[in-house]
Amino acid sequence: MFGKKNKTPLPPKSREEMPFAKMGLTLKEWRNEHKNKHKWRTIRWSVLIGMNLLFVISFILDLALLEGSLSGSRFMGLYLMDPFNSFQVLIISFMTGHWKYLTMNFVIGFFTIFLFYFFAGGRTYCSWICPYHFLAEWGEKLHNYLVKKKKIKEHTFNIYLRFVFWGGFLILALVTKNLVFENLNPIGILSRAMIYGPGLILLWIFALIIFEIVYSKRFWCRYICPVGATWSLVGKGTPLAIKFELDKCAHCLDCQQVCLVPHELWFVKKGAATKEIHHAGSDCTRCGLCVDVCPGDALSYTIKGWDKIL
Amino acid sequence: MSQAGNNLNRRQFLKSSAIAVGAMAAVGAGVGYLQKVTAETRINQDFLRPPGALPEADFIYGCIKCGLCVQICPVQAIKLAGIKEGLAYGTPYIDVRAQACDFSCDSIQCVETCPTAVLYFKQFKRAGEKAIAEYDKLHGQDKNYNPFPVQIQAMKSIVKMGFAKINESTCLAYQGKGFKGTPRGKDFKGINRSPYTGEPKATPVSEKVYDEKICNLCVKECPIGETAIIMEDTTSGGGKIVPKVLKGCTGCGVCVMVCPTEEPSIIVEPVKS
Repeated sequence: MFGKKNKTPLPPKSREEMPFAKMGLTLKEWRNEHKNKHKWRTIRWSVLIGMNLLFVISFILDLALLEGSLSGSRFMGLYLMDPFNSFQVLIISFMTGHWKYLTMNFVIGFFTIFLFYFFAGGRTYCSWICPYHFLAEWGEKLHNYLVKKKKIKEHTFNIYLRFVFWGGFLILALVTKNLVFENLNPIGILSRAMIYGPGLILLWIFALIIFEIVYSKRFWCRYICPVGATWSLVGKGTPLAIKFELDKCAHCLDCQQVCLVPHELWFVKKGAATKEIHHAGSDCTRCGLCVDVCPGDALSYTIKGWDKIL
Repeated sequence: MSQAGNNLNRRQFLKSSAIAVGAMAAVGAGVGYLQKVTAETRINQDFLRPPGALPEADFIYGCIKCGLCVQICPVQAIKLAGIKEGLAYGTPYIDVRAQACDFSCDSIQCVETCPTAVLYFKQFKRAGEKAIAEYDKLHGQDKNYNPFPVQIQAMKSIVKMGFAKINESTCLAYQGKGFKGTPRGKDFKGINRSPYTGEPKATPVSEKVYDEKICNLCVKECPIGETAIIMEDTTSGGGKIVPKVLKGCTGCGVCVMVCPTEEPSIIVEPVKS
């Protein structure tokens, strides 16, 4: 279903070919030797908090740095629009004839953000900007702890559910002539709460986090969020990607443990890789957790085709 | 993956999709219901939309709740609605009693900044350009050529947020009373630019001191001027000197903000679409 990779995998590596064997260690020693310094996580959280703070500071100090909120903003005078919001607005406006009134700023904002995230990698937005992602990461930690203690069970769903919601919310917008999703969107809600002050609607965010902690890991981001789904469509064919090198991998699967979208790291399983070098697909948020955790540095950030240019 | 595994996967996907569609249908029905309920009652609520807002039904669908209009307003008249406003959650509104729109931005920039044009700027732009063209004909050769005052006057005079209405039973002027002091007390945070002082920026209402024989604060502070509200002398007909709202009223609400009575004796009714 959905275009499974049908290429024949490479033959699995023998024990002697494993990176830890080459260093004369056992797998356990090799994994213990790797100290996770959380380099990329620190950078990413700084960017995430910094960008969201920039919104708040711009409002409080009345600066023209980054005005608005994550639903729509203006960066030093240049408009940026949330693409899923824009889709809904476009769909409704074509129904009602409002499209004639839409401003040039709307069009500029829509295309600027597309262009930027086409190069920066679609769902990069999720892990580097989205404030809900930050909360959900902490929820995930708590969830993992509870699962480990056997207090709760893990529930997983099909990741393509996102596209059902994606289409569903667009149809809802069409039928009700209302930006239905924006009323539920935790990104917008959190962003506005930070900038313009909190409200009762934060209870919705609270409920979501609780649900993610006790029932299903990263439920919203993985299975529902149509904003993330839009970004993963935008990010198809993005040059910025996570590169996987088979010869450095010992198939310990630590990376799949920390990954938000483990299906994008399908090639790390023993005997799954079909090439020496793989790139994670468009669902990847480029969060860098796998880069941090990998004991053999088999995973790294790369720009596809960069070496060819050089 | 084996055939059986694939089938299981597909079944699971279809099952959760069915639940998802059900959930979204429920949300949609809820939204439809709220839309129906609030569209009727919202008109009676005490808030206005910012200048240039489309009719309420059109406004809600296009507003992406980004808050750019909130950020650009120099007097911070625009606020974002909380959850109590139902579907209007996160959309901008003006509570004129707390802080009215006094047009001291001189450009109606909240409208210009709106990316989805639910605050629709083109009408203002046209009105401004027309005013400039007329000014050019008359004063094109003048030494101190400055079309901006007529431009902003033309732009703000076509704003239609609502229409002011005077409550004759509480209005001080209708009772022949004057007003002395500051209208809203020392702790009131609202600001406005008084048109008669020529001040460049809005100043706190709490710093303004009046001494009027017949209370005329609403007329004095009106940023639109004599096309919107005047003091009408009805003494010949046996009446008093009282404020009268005219067709030019934009519903900006400065009169409501400065009204010194406990409950405002003048209110702004939102435009009905």
